[in-house]
Amino acid sequence: MQFTETPPPPLHQNSITPCSNFIMNNNNNQFHRTRPWPGFSTTPTNKALGSVKDANCMEQLLVHCANAIESNDATLAQQILWVLNNTAPPDGDSNQRLTCGFLRALISRAAMTGNCKMLTAAMANTHPNHAIDTHKFSVIELASFIDLTPWHRFGFVAANAAILEAIEGFSVVHIVDLSLTHCMQIPTLIDAIANRPEGPPFIKLTVSSCDADIPPMLDISYEDLGAKLVNFARSRNVAMEFKVIPSSYADGFASLIEHLRVQQLVFTDRNEPEALVINSHMKLHYTPDETLGEIHHHSPYYSMEPSFSSTTSLRSAFLKALRSLNPTIVVLVDEDADFSSTNLVSRLRSAFNFLWIPYDAVDTCIRRGSKQMEWYEADLCWKIENVIAQEDVQRVERLESKSKWVQRMRNANFRGISFSEEAVTEIRHMLDEHAAGWGLKKEDEEDHLVLTWKGHNVVFATAWVPSY
Amino acid sequence: MPVDLENSSAMSVSTVSGEASVSSSGNQTGAAPASTVVKKKRNLPGMPDPNAEVLALSPKTLMATNRFVCEICNKGFQRDQNLQLHRRGHNLPWKLRQRTNKEIRKRVYVCPEPSCVHHDPTRALGDLTGIKKHFCRKHGEKKYKCDKCSKKYAVQSDWKAHQKTCGTKEYKCACGTLFSRRDSFITHRAFCDALAEEAAKVHTVLPNSKPEEVVSISFVKPKAVVSSPPPPPLSPLPLTPPPPPPPAMDVLPEYDQIPELPKKSTGILQQIPPSTCVNGSTSSSSSSSNLSSSNSLFESIFSSSTMATLQPQPSAFSNLICAMSHSDRSSNVATASGAEPTSLCLATNGGSTLFAPLGQDRHQYAPSPQPTMSATALLQKAAQMGAAATNASLLRGFGISNSSTGCEQEALNWSHPIDNEPGPPASGLGISHPCDGGGFPCDGASSLTELMMGPSSLFGQRPTTLDLLGLGLGVGGGGASKSGLSALITSIGGGGDFDMATAAFGGGNLLERAWETDDRKTNTSAALP
Repeated sequence: MQFTETPPPPLHQNSITPCSNFIMNNNNNQFHRTRPWPGFSTTPTNKALGSVKDANCMEQLLVHCANAIESNDATLAQQILWVLNNTAPPDGDSNQRLTCGFLRALISRAAMTGNCKMLTAAMANTHPNHAIDTHKFSVIELASFIDLTPWHRFGFVAANAAILEAIEGFSVVHIVDLSLTHCMQIPTLIDAIANRPEGPPFIKLTVSSCDADIPPMLDISYEDLGAKLVNFARSRNVAMEFKVIPSSYADGFASLIEHLRVQQLVFTDRNEPEALVINSHMKLHYTPDETLGEIHHHSPYYSMEPSFSSTTSLRSAFLKALRSLNPTIVVLVDEDADFSSTNLVSRLRSAFNFLWIPYDAVDTCIRRGSKQMEWYEADLCWKIENVIAQEDVQRVERLESKSKWVQRMRNANFRGISFSEEAVTEIRHMLDEHAAGWGLKKEDEEDHLVLTWKGHNVVFATAWVPSY
Repeated sequence: MPVDLENSSAMSVSTVSGEASVSSSGNQTGAAPASTVVKKKRNLPGMPDPNAEVLALSPKTLMATNRFVCEICNKGFQRDQNLQLHRRGHNLPWKLRQRTNKEIRKRVYVCPEPSCVHHDPTRALGDLTGIKKHFCRKHGEKKYKCDKCSKKYAVQSDWKAHQKTCGTKEYKCACGTLFSRRDSFITHRAFCDALAEEAAKVHTVLPNSKPEEVVSISFVKPKAVVSSPPPPPLSPLPLTPPPPPPPAMDVLPEYDQIPELPKKSTGILQQIPPSTCVNGSTSSSSSSSNLSSSNSLFESIFSSSTMATLQPQPSAFSNLICAMSHSDRSSNVATASGAEPTSLCLATNGGSTLFAPLGQDRHQYAPSPQPTMSATALLQKAAQMGAAATNASLLRGFGISNSSTGCEQEALNWSHPIDNEPGPPASGLGISHPCDGGGFPCDGASSLTELMMGPSSLFGQRPTTLDLLGLGLGVGGGGASKSGLSALITSIGGGGDFDMATAAFGGGNLLERAWETDDRKTNTSAALP
């Protein structure tokens, strides 16, 4: 599959004059909120105009800085960094904190690529502890943390509703949870399953082993986590079995697929029908896509498959492998943005124009300066740094837009299905519990659901069944 | 019946100021019949009839409430017609507007806030109440605050509606945490140690149970399998023998709260005769304190599916006994006899007479450190245990984030340069220099040198003393450093527009000198461990 890329914008001018005038007004570091609500023309009130300019200006500065670093222009990079540093304190408003995250990422990139050595050395002195401190959550902390915004809850509610509908009538349900959030979705799913009218099925829960390096990080092992879940399921009179398969996104979850295949081969002749549920929550975008090169570099497992040509990406190969398992339902939830470009500047732009949302939204629910805010933003900074500073296999935050995922799923011979009205009602109800900026919309002919913040797409939820 | 007069208050102009609408509202002519308005189907928000008359009311009008006040009781009304109806109750003269045959044009209302989507006439709202509430909710101050949960509302009716339900939909985990949302509660519950402790309690109390029955975890390489008691029909890796089905008490009291139950269960507790209380002698003192907390106990039983049909009393009992046995665990009494576990199991089957003696027996031969400990106290104790268990990780979290705070602090210092405030000497150095702009007197230079030398001898603080200057400094070599410095100065002049390029330049020489001194120091300090 070939994706088009935006060509890099023209390289830097040698001055930063377009933006320098606003620095003068910056003595108190006060900036107004940035993004306008969409759907109304930018009314020429001073406030609206000024705020838009701020966000755009910061983006421009970051782009210039990225260009300068890429072209090894240390002087310019340093100038811009200086400006950015003064306009974007880490304790400023949401936009300043967003910019600060990018600033740190750019410094980090300069250090990693070896460009602008002078800069790098200086930064190393200035920021000895530059490494981002991502917090290791306890399970309870993580549960309440995820509860703060609909960022994850949206996908949880949508997926649970779709899964519950799909497994109706099955007495054995095999749930494969590929989730960034360490099974945080599962308790509510167990609870819903426990209450279904025909009585609960036997649940097999299979997860891929923890990718230790990706936030949010958990401070207990998956085995312990599983024990808690099994215990909880039993308290709801649901029999459950929990399995951890050592498997990683890096090779397209090859061993997980293999495990599922073996399971099916060995146990297909049973009388009891078994539902296979694939729940993917913000995890598949870590699998290598086309821009990371060909399959055999990363997975001998997939490259042995005759049906995969050498140009197929591991991401598509994984989806095809999933399809071959004939799952009862596949739920695919992910962030609706595109970080997959090989070009740094377009990645930066795209990330800047998506990641303002978590910064903006968090102000409605977490107190500034609290521990939770610190954790939240450390995780965001990790993500920014991964997108901006890392390259090759280290760059794992390879988000793709919903339309690309939809295309991939269709190519893998899946058919999109709509979410039920009940699911939509439930999501709306859930959103009512959160800040007013969150919204829900339906897109495409399958009525895929999209979580929005002030009208901007945030997370999409799609449900798929094999098409024949 | 309140009469909807929104469309009938005669407003003859399409843009009405607050004052205008007040004065015109008294006008009784040209009124529209209320019934017609009510019957009309309301247009969807934001999709008004294109023929409708678009009204733009001022914020003042929209925020105005209860303009019509009864002279007898001072009660205020939003509409004159409602006041008129009210006046009838006081036997005062009243007058309702009559319907006329004048043709009415549909009116729609736009929001006065220019940035609002409903400011656009094409997305105007179809009724006055709607636009008023919209304006209050979206652009008004949220002045109605719920005392219980601190939620705020701009519209009083929203607040009232919330007041009716607030607090009733609360879920409480055994660990003491409160939740307003069921999802949050469920997720917390699943991972909370309180649940595991309950499971462990069952395990301790029931002599028959084996460890595997509570949680059977077996690690298989490369796969780890955790399986639960009811064995899978065809377990793929049946490494542990399928344990027997969970005993009745497996469905332990869960402290789920169900909205309607609190009052009911309180009643139940009061109905329990004193003689059947676990600790009869102290029942008067302990039961009163029980009242509050036992709500959750009772509800938990009701919410648990298998116990739903139980009689209240025995279940209340099983809970109390459970609580007792839990507290006694430390004194090793829980395992003392098979009778208690049996009683616990029986509890789920009902039979209230069995329990009073058992409970008393238990109390007799198992004196806990605090015999009169109430269920509340026991619960609290359990909660504390849970809290203590989680504290460790919290503390760890603090440790980690402490270091990150330090990091942030540095970043902060680093970003200070633009401020004019002196700040700490080290960070103020590179910063205040360009900003002061006045050109450095000689004294300044010497003090500058001192400043730079002072901190640099303290190795520990070395990183924080580096600020903007550090950008140029880090290169190490003398020649390169000069270029770094000039770059710095360029950046000050170019980036600044600070009207002080010359000053900065003037200071630049001083800086350079100071910096060279500092550089030597840096090298020295770098050589040290």
